[in-house]
Amino acid sequence: MNHLPQAWGRPRDDVYGAYDASYLQTSGPKQATQQPIVTGTSVIAMKFNEGVVIAADNLASYGALARFTDVKRLRVFLDSSVVGFSGDVSDMQYLDRHLNELAIDEAYDLETAATKDTSKPSGKLNAANLHKYLQKVLYKRRSDFDPLWNQILVAGFDAASKPFLASVDLRGTAFTSPSLATGFGAALAQPIMRNYAATEEDAARLTREEAVNVVKDCMKVLFYRDARSLDKYSIAVVTKDGVELKENEQLERQSWAFAERIKGYGTQTV
Amino acid sequence: MEFGKSGFLNEDGIHVDMDRLKNGEVNLGTSIMAITFKDGVILGADSRTTTGAYIANRVTDKLTRVHDTIWCCRSGSAADTQAVADIVQYQLGLFSMQSGKPPTTQTAASIFQEICYANKDRLSAGLIIAGWDERHGGQVYSIPLGGSLHKQPYAIGGSGSTYIYGFCDANWREGMEEADAVGFVKEALKEAIKWDGSSGGVIRMVVLTAKGADRHLYLPDTDYTVRHN
Amino acid sequence: MTSIGTGYDLANSIYSPDGRNFQVEYAVKAVENGGTSIGIRCKDGVVLAVEKVIASKLLKPNANKRIATVDRHLGIVYSGMIPDGRHLVDRARDEARNHRDTFKSPIPTRDLANRMGGYMQAYTLYQSVRPFGVTAILGGFDSDLEQPVDGEVGSGPSCGGGGKVEGQKHGGPWLAMIEPSGTYWGYYGAATGKGRQAAKAELEKLNLAAGEITIKEAVKEAARIIYIAHDDNKDKDFELEMSWISGSDGPTKGKHVEVPSDLLAEAEGLARKAIEKDLEGDDEEEKDKMEE
Repeated sequence: MNHLPQAWGRPRDDVYGAYDASYLQTSGPKQATQQPIVTGTSVIAMKFNEGVVIAADNLASYGALARFTDVKRLRVFLDSSVVGFSGDVSDMQYLDRHLNELAIDEAYDLETAATKDTSKPSGKLNAANLHKYLQKVLYKRRSDFDPLWNQILVAGFDAASKPFLASVDLRGTAFTSPSLATGFGAALAQPIMRNYAATEEDAARLTREEAVNVVKDCMKVLFYRDARSLDKYSIAVVTKDGVELKENEQLERQSWAFAERIKGYGTQTV
Repeated sequence: MEFGKSGFLNEDGIHVDMDRLKNGEVNLGTSIMAITFKDGVILGADSRTTTGAYIANRVTDKLTRVHDTIWCCRSGSAADTQAVADIVQYQLGLFSMQSGKPPTTQTAASIFQEICYANKDRLSAGLIIAGWDERHGGQVYSIPLGGSLHKQPYAIGGSGSTYIYGFCDANWREGMEEADAVGFVKEALKEAIKWDGSSGGVIRMVVLTAKGADRHLYLPDTDYTVRHN
Repeated sequence: MTSIGTGYDLANSIYSPDGRNFQVEYAVKAVENGGTSIGIRCKDGVVLAVEKVIASKLLKPNANKRIATVDRHLGIVYSGMIPDGRHLVDRARDEARNHRDTFKSPIPTRDLANRMGGYMQAYTLYQSVRPFGVTAILGGFDSDLEQPVDGEVGSGPSCGGGGKVEGQKHGGPWLAMIEPSGTYWGYYGAATGKGRQAAKAELEKLNLAAGEITIKEAVKEAARIIYIAHDDNKDKDFELEMSWISGSDGPTKGKHVEVPSDLLAEAEGLARKAIEKDLEGDDEEEKDKMEE
């Protein structure tokens, strides 16, 4: 018998063999992380002459189940930028809190409520800064094999006070364009938006009203053809005066009545 | 004596196959729900716990207290959800002692979410947090698998919930009287139990209001008509 | 201070035989040499103000801020050793951030005061450290509305949560002053630094506990009090820095921000006039006395 106190109460090596510590190994290949669970579908956005319009529906799906129908996926940052999230909702909430803390850090430089001179670029983080920051965050996480499962659009203004719109995805890939869309929107909405704003020059000629109408039309097409979409959506317009966000819009003027003329699937007429 | 790394439960009684333990885990394939009503919130659940097709416990209590008037409904792995609920109960107890005021439902939901989100790779836990506090009245939060947090007028969860989305959407009304609200929860859970093989047994409820927590119990042999307890 | 340390003032962790911690008392001395700071809690918000003595004409006007934002709804001003104050602000920001990370909501002002009190107290216990040479005034407005959890999605029933207890007030303005010993109390009006005696006398006249004064009036009172507390004869010129926090329906929308420059100028103008009037009044009084 082993009389050492360290061994008391433990299985005896002579009976059970030495303890196989391989069961306690903490190293070894790390598993590639997770999958999105509760998800939001497309975000779409396009520039116009004096700003950016961005939209996303209010649905968070659980697989094919339309589980949460009141999830607002456009988030305002510092009253001057809008971030649109598609992909995993828990990661969206993580990033939203993170950006909220970033905004508080900005407020450490005691700002004056009254001096809000919008003509010149302020010292605070603009949309271009924010987009670059998000890119770094997402790239860091993918490099840790623990990606934040989102594709994100950032709408606002750059340092030269020009309308800014850019995208970043879960790998940290970033790009910009006069119009952008994530998910199904990249296939369904982007071609429509390009009809109106193929180049920066085109976008600079679009009025706010035109841009809003194009985006609303795109939301309709997405509702027709994306099985993970909803007819309730949020839309935000970012201009130099700030952000106008509407979060409970209903798709209007849908086209369904033609179904009456569709009978059978070929030769049938009644 | 040879010990393979597969770790099958050997005659030594020590080496255990962890993967197998995970696979055979006790599951709360469940029907749970929580609703807001005129005076607060009501939580409801069935009582079936299964390992595969075997009913490991037929009188389970899936409604768990984390503070006086903040409770949660647990679905998913029994071990995971119990561990999480225990941690939150501890944290809320500490919070109320340190700050000298009872925690709000939001506080509880936040702590639950942080745990579920930070450990999303390791946990299988689908939780509904429901509580009453002086400032906010009755509130219901849902934390599904990925660890997101959703505020809702009412929430349903577990495998049985998929059968009652239609029932709940059609029959739900805001600001119900207590008797109507209890009736709504009972009828919804009866449907879930009827159609979901992983749900069954008794119906348990907890009513949370300014008056505190009030438990209800309904049994299948009286067709859930008589309130026991 | 009447007695000297006689050896009991050499370290924090040693009491004097009559139960005093001399290091803490010396720290209070450091505070008493600093520019005056005040805080006013009124019915719809909190005002913080500080007298910044201009040490050199080469300093850029309005550039060196002394009031710090800790979280959106929280501000701190302090008198005494400025680097100590800065460190304290850093710590306050960490505490506020920790609270947000854990509870997904802004820290209540009272809870932050508690944390800061605990932190400063720890610096009265050990050989290896010296107590903070500052007294800090902490002002905040805890939202009186129902606040969502940070990052919240979704909504409850449109009729609101059922069974709320009616007629209860939640949140509101809060003001606390934390001393080098770690002591903190909640106040309606708080003052520290060189001119604290005069400032406290003026604050008492305002009858703040009655809750009648508004935040806009308080800004003007705060400016006046700093001007009164400033000792013309002994000190060089000074700059007035002021910040305020109102509720969500007030001028700052629940945020701690600098008092806007036009209101600051107006308040300073009124303060100067009030001072001049006071001086004239004094002269008249003296004349009266002569006639007696």
